[in-house]
Amino acid sequence: MRKSLSKVMKPVLALSLFGTILAGCGGGSNDGASSSNSGSSTNSTTGTVKLKGIMLKHPLTQELSKMEWLTKVEEQVGVDIEWQEISADWDQKKGALLAGGDIPDILIGPNVITDADFAQFTGLFQDLTELISTGGPNVQQMFTEKPETKLIATQLDGKIYGLPKYQRFWPDTVSRQYINKQWLDNLGLKEPTNWDELYNVLLAFKEKDANGDGDINDEIPMDFAPVGTTGFGYFQPQILLGSLGITLTDSSGQGYFTEGGQIKNYFVDDRYKQFVEFMNKCWQAGLINPEAFTQDYSKFQSVARGSGDKAKVGFSWGWEVTDRFGNTLAPQYESIAPLKVSADSNIKMSYDYDGYSLNFGGNMVVMSAKSKNKEAAMKFINELYNPTVSMQVLFGSLGTNIKDNGDGSYAVLPPADSQMDPGTWKWTSTWADNGPTFISDSLKLTLGTDMQSVGKQTEPLQAVLSAIDKDKDILPSMFIKYNPEDNNAMVLVNTNMINLAMSKFSQWVTKGGIDKEWDSYVSNIKQMGLDNNLSTMQKYYDDYKSKK
Amino acid sequence: MSSITPKKYRRNLMELKRDYQLWVMIIPAIVVVIIFNYIPMYGIQLAFRDYDFSRGLAGGAWRGLHYFSQFINNYQFWDLMRNTVIISITTIVLGFPAPIILALILNQVKWFRTKKLLQTIVYMPHFISIVVMVGLLNVLLSPNTGILGQLISKLGDTDINLLASTNSFVPVFVISDIWQHAGWNSIIYLAALSTVSPSLYDAAKIDGANKWKMILHIDIPALVPTIIILFILSMGNVLGTGFEKVFLMQNSLNLPVSEVISTYVYKIGILSNQFSYSSAIGLFNTVINFFFLVTMNWISKRNSEISLW
Repeated sequence: MRKSLSKVMKPVLALSLFGTILAGCGGGSNDGASSSNSGSSTNSTTGTVKLKGIMLKHPLTQELSKMEWLTKVEEQVGVDIEWQEISADWDQKKGALLAGGDIPDILIGPNVITDADFAQFTGLFQDLTELISTGGPNVQQMFTEKPETKLIATQLDGKIYGLPKYQRFWPDTVSRQYINKQWLDNLGLKEPTNWDELYNVLLAFKEKDANGDGDINDEIPMDFAPVGTTGFGYFQPQILLGSLGITLTDSSGQGYFTEGGQIKNYFVDDRYKQFVEFMNKCWQAGLINPEAFTQDYSKFQSVARGSGDKAKVGFSWGWEVTDRFGNTLAPQYESIAPLKVSADSNIKMSYDYDGYSLNFGGNMVVMSAKSKNKEAAMKFINELYNPTVSMQVLFGSLGTNIKDNGDGSYAVLPPADSQMDPGTWKWTSTWADNGPTFISDSLKLTLGTDMQSVGKQTEPLQAVLSAIDKDKDILPSMFIKYNPEDNNAMVLVNTNMINLAMSKFSQWVTKGGIDKEWDSYVSNIKQMGLDNNLSTMQKYYDDYKSKK
Repeated sequence: MSSITPKKYRRNLMELKRDYQLWVMIIPAIVVVIIFNYIPMYGIQLAFRDYDFSRGLAGGAWRGLHYFSQFINNYQFWDLMRNTVIISITTIVLGFPAPIILALILNQVKWFRTKKLLQTIVYMPHFISIVVMVGLLNVLLSPNTGILGQLISKLGDTDINLLASTNSFVPVFVISDIWQHAGWNSIIYLAALSTVSPSLYDAAKIDGANKWKMILHIDIPALVPTIIILFILSMGNVLGTGFEKVFLMQNSLNLPVSEVISTYVYKIGILSNQFSYSSAIGLFNTVINFFFLVTMNWISKRNSEISLW
């Protein structure tokens, strides 16, 4: 038996085989009244067009039929969409669906179909260039106001298959750094401003009874999100590389970053070695959660919520303080500024910059090339990009989730259920960040408390984030499209490199030994072909810069 | 194979007529195997071609052994092979005798009710799904909160984290596997033991054999044919370490020993759409398994007259 592969490929093969059989029988008789791949029929009395759609929604999100704004939009443009709502395992479903070639008229979701899919499944998706110029004024408006969105949408061959989003209000970074202020006060300590001070503070958390419950051993000085096997992610310690002047982009999970217009990889950078040595020093002293590498994300979240009003974790990263530590403990924590390496260091500090990926997104909506009603589908898509509709796509319907002040300005309402936090309320009510949106800079909208507090908690980081040279020190991966051959070659190298790098990282942090092994490790990674990847990326990067 | 003579042909037809009920009963199984095992073989050619969606499964450019050499020359090839073989061989060497021993022990239990109760208890874990099983392991072995994790660090006076060490990955994997499946796998041996004629035991008693001698000279010989057949079949999985359990138990600390062929295929094939490459790896894997199975069958046929074919 072929194991894993056959398990996934069987349905794919069976489907594609089935598809060929069907095609054989059908013999391309597409002049029939009904067709299987887009059950389109026009209701002659009302003139509504029936379409099929797929929406990738968050598991919390309510049924689409209960979304008032969506019903209104469908009525307004004269379509009736039969939605298939998917909230899990899209990656696995997608392969079979695309290989079978039988897709609905519209697919909506964050990067629902990737650039790589467009390159591989040629002819399956509709090039929207024409449709936008004839029936997409709102999309055109977005392209004019925010030229970045057009860059994101345009493929190498100049075609536009997927439309992007712009959501304006999001901060410049995903991860904020939190420290327990109450513990600091209990022990009479000051907020750390550099690595040495952080080490001393964590050591005090470890050795003294920081939370004041009489037990000196129940504090976890530092915790971070579980480091996976496929690269780093958000809320993980590589953020500290910013102290050494490395600007991460979107957490730089595979190590790639830009410095002075040069593409580099921190996995072979001496500064990374310095950072790992510091992490190892903390681990040796018992300052890091011993389960940091084995716990799963939900445990990482629940540990930080402590028990009652007794906190467990001293220092950690998170999106927002209530999301990270729960409503009860949140007041104990505060967000702190980026740390220097040492008190006398004069390295220009940096941080993880995610402003592009938080405010922009690619391929939020795509259309099937086989659709029978492309104009109607485009009409619907265009309406989603109308700023007042977009605002409802993102935060929920007018009346229940958004208040119309009547003077052309709007405000996001607090949750109807007072027990619920605003973030959950948003994700429950509507498509939220999974929908295609254009929140124009001219739209007057007051945000909810959650977004306001994210903004407030970003303030300590803002000076450093604003000082980042966005022209030379950011890896604009969002705007760069690789051709399939280059992409495949890079994927093979990255898979091998990440395997080695991640296992070495956890080994060096927990057992030490980076000094002895560093040189052979670097030459191993070079052997795998890192330099080829860097020069490929550099080529594309320079190309992108010259066109900008 | 000799060619089918008319005489042989007639005899086959006779047998078909005589046993037609049996053939009718097996038809659904044959259909399932054809649909799910033979028809998908059409897709094997993907391993020798580029995948080209617009031209269909068999329409991509012919690349011959390109993807196979890409795998064999891969930086991780030897690590993947080594990890896969170590995990499979350990599972077979330790996991194969376990149900046999369990069956022999259960067979000694005289009280009917106790025997049934014990049997039920030992085969229950087989029905725990792998995801839940790994969840159980994570809870039990966690160094901060797990019962076993705490116990081991107290007894051994270490702060070892069993979930996160290259040395403990294979033992934890194999022992939990035995715990989960030994009871279930012992059922077939118990069935074989139940066919042993009581007169043999009586005769042995008269000859003055004790319990141990009886097991050695009656029970074990009775099990040998079953053991050999099952062993040959298990050889077909020599490189087939289950994907799910390894994948779920994987973390960055045990990665050097836990990255096996199937998890690599997942990362390279499914997460990054390299269909042809992952087909080639899968086929490579299958060919090696097939080779092992045939070899074992041949050895067994020469030495003991018991074989699959």
